[in-house]
Amino acid sequence: MFGYVRPFRPELKCKDFDLYRATYCGLCRCLRRRYGLIAPMFLNFDFTFLALVLWEEEEGWEPCRGRCHANPLVKKTMCVQSPALELAADESVILAWWKLRDSVQDEGFFAGLPARALSLLLRPAYRKAARQAPDFDRAVRGCLVELSALERENCPSLDRPADTFARLLQSAAPAEGTRGRVLGQLLYHLGRWIYLADARDDLEEDRQAGRYNPVTARYGPQGDDGALALTMDQSLGRMGEALQLGDFGCRSALLENMIYLGLPLVQRAVFDGSWAQIKKQKIWRNDT
Amino acid sequence: MRDPYSVLGVSPSASDEEVKKAYRELARKYHPDNYQNNPLADLAEEKMKEINEAYDTITKQRSGGGGYQSSQSYGGSYQSSYQGGYSSSNQTYAQVRSMINAGDLAGAERLLFQVNQRDGEWYFLSGSIAYRKGWMDEAMQNYSRAVQLEPNNMEYRQALAIMQRGAGGYRPAGYGGGMDAMDCCTTMLCLNCLCGGGHC
Repeated sequence: MFGYVRPFRPELKCKDFDLYRATYCGLCRCLRRRYGLIAPMFLNFDFTFLALVLWEEEEGWEPCRGRCHANPLVKKTMCVQSPALELAADESVILAWWKLRDSVQDEGFFAGLPARALSLLLRPAYRKAARQAPDFDRAVRGCLVELSALERENCPSLDRPADTFARLLQSAAPAEGTRGRVLGQLLYHLGRWIYLADARDDLEEDRQAGRYNPVTARYGPQGDDGALALTMDQSLGRMGEALQLGDFGCRSALLENMIYLGLPLVQRAVFDGSWAQIKKQKIWRNDT
Repeated sequence: MRDPYSVLGVSPSASDEEVKKAYRELARKYHPDNYQNNPLADLAEEKMKEINEAYDTITKQRSGGGGYQSSQSYGGSYQSSYQGGYSSSNQTYAQVRSMINAGDLAGAERLLFQVNQRDGEWYFLSGSIAYRKGWMDEAMQNYSRAVQLEPNNMEYRQALAIMQRGAGGYRPAGYGGGMDAMDCCTTMLCLNCLCGGGHC
């Protein structure tokens, strides 16, 4: 379900790439400091996006150096710790935890064993995160209960389950003020888009397993790529509009790249099937 | 009021041409057309007002307070035509419209579902509520139905046309047109670049 939100590197300025990488590494360090050695394993590009949008508006950012979690011999440039980064870290752990629980429930006993083992490892971190961000934890849990009820009853609407997941992500933003409204709208449509992209990506797999899939439920067994792409484009449009109304300071250009270029390309890859290959690749490497 | 130059994002020493260009770009960004029926439309309207005022102030200052400059900015007249320009003959529909504009979507929905006879306007309003909620698929279906029932209504057709352009609308310079302009090969190249290129 994760990993769809990434920048389109060739159009990224070097300084924006540095900022992206520093945010990724900074979030990793924040996870390690707050939650120990296991939590950074669950870090992904979507959580980095969350950290970027939650950040306070700043005209510039302070880089600092720190040891890499994956390879302690290397020092890397990182964003300094801030309340926004801590919030993103808490929410990342909660999202990763519920994603694991979701896999445990979806799979059978044996297929679910890896997720079960991982969730056992993540449990202490989750407990702490749920104490730090109780409202978010409650919102996620509530939305997932709603979502699984809709899936059980084979809901024929595309918007209803997508709305549930969208509200889940929306609750990651602070609720109050103009900034909250802008972030809420941005994350709502991101959540909707991710849910639909994921549904399209799982179409084949779900068909074989005979599982519920919102795309099949809405458009029939063959799906309808044209209509689905249009409705996903509309969410991308709303995200772009919200982005323009927010103050993201030095992070604007990076966020614009992700929303206007990265997401449409990922969407295209999901539709033509090349996503299965692309999602495994890392952003950082340059070894062509 | 904020410094008009910082509102437009130019330095006070910028030429008239640069000021105008910056103003045009911002006006394109926050134009009410881009935020029709958007739940954040009021924020865009505020921004638009701010940049209009800033531009007017600068042009006034630069022309020495002289006569001709005032009506150069645009945008001010749009909002009113969308919000108040269309009216409903039906009392309930008028009420639903004002509730939608006030952001009371649950109330508007409840009221709308009390109406038994479902005509073009019913579907249009139902589509507007869905659009505001972010339920794009249902908005699309309802708008299509409204246009089907009343093909000559410009308001319904315009709403449907906005939905059909997908992610269109404003793009900052450099992102214009999205990826559609690219041919097949470039697209493949691009997809590889999503992750830093090639065989990693």
